[in-house]
Amino acid sequence: MAKMLQDSVLIVVLGTVLGLAANAVSPRGLSLTRDYFGGTPGKVLRAESGSAVQSGSQGTDAARPATDGSTGTDQKGEPSHTKHGLPLATHEQVADWFRDPSYAQQKIVFIDARDEAHYAEKHIPGAYPFDHYHPDRYIANVLAAAQLADRIVVYCHGGDCEDSELAFQDLVALGVPESKLVIYGGGITEWVNRKMPVATGPDRQP
Amino acid sequence: MTTHSRRLEVVAARWILGATFLYLGAVKALDPVGFLKLAHQFEVLSTPPAVNFVAAVLPWFEIFCGVLLILGVKPRATATLQGILLAGFTTLVVLRALALHQAFGTSFCAISFDCGCGTGEVNVCMKLVENTALMILTAVVALIPSGTWCLTSEDEPVRRS
Repeated sequence: MAKMLQDSVLIVVLGTVLGLAANAVSPRGLSLTRDYFGGTPGKVLRAESGSAVQSGSQGTDAARPATDGSTGTDQKGEPSHTKHGLPLATHEQVADWFRDPSYAQQKIVFIDARDEAHYAEKHIPGAYPFDHYHPDRYIANVLAAAQLADRIVVYCHGGDCEDSELAFQDLVALGVPESKLVIYGGGITEWVNRKMPVATGPDRQP
Repeated sequence: MTTHSRRLEVVAARWILGATFLYLGAVKALDPVGFLKLAHQFEVLSTPPAVNFVAAVLPWFEIFCGVLLILGVKPRATATLQGILLAGFTTLVVLRALALHQAFGTSFCAISFDCGCGTGEVNVCMKLVENTALMILTAVVALIPSGTWCLTSEDEPVRRS
């Protein structure tokens, strides 16, 4: 038994050292100290049905007031804010911005908050990648575009993907005016389902 | 059961376990951000460094243990550790499924979610069956001494001539 314990401790120590070393050298490695989810108050439970309830504490961030002042929906009954109180844009609004001549002039900017692999697989044409979990590569490009833009649309997969909200809060923390930012709640999933154009490959990757 | 066939069974259990942990660890190691998000959802660890540490290190630890089992290096201790980890993960899966069952009234065995095991979204009852089978295999390797095809020697019952 003593030998088994000794062996177990040795395996745990060696395995941990190996894990830390691999994480340090891996390009996909994680920071051990960073709070990746610091801006998402509340917790969500999801069932197979896809419906969601919120449980637990609401955290310290107060939800932003709804635009209609009552139910958190716009005049068509669609949600105007995310569950964490960030402004939402409908697909129609996002599609209009995409077609607006200002998009080609970089006055309207789209930011893809998914990882590099998903971005390269398909993304909204002209969108800038910004991976919340590995932001250093993308900050310079994104901030340069954000400074010139009047409207910044942030998206990820859609549905219960929180990466767009995390990227939204990163951009605010980096000094991008919150009034410019909006989240496309339907994400790339709705974009594709609505037969909108997509681009593949590195496009605006740094 | 002859000693020879029992040894072969232990070897088979070792290799199945080793290959399983190697595969599941590799899947998680290739997508540490995905595993981090799932670890965060389980809300077991409250501080970011703890969640990040588990997400960063655990996949590689699983790969390491998988290799040890396949090569037969300290297999009993390795299997014991993996058995403890499996018991912990299975408990978390059950608790999460119970929470979903109570929140939505969904039948327990109809619940599916990504448990962070490396196999994507799974049905909870199937996952419990799988984990139970894996825990039985870890018990076989941990409790039955066998040095057959091992790189390190293991305790064997002394045979009197």
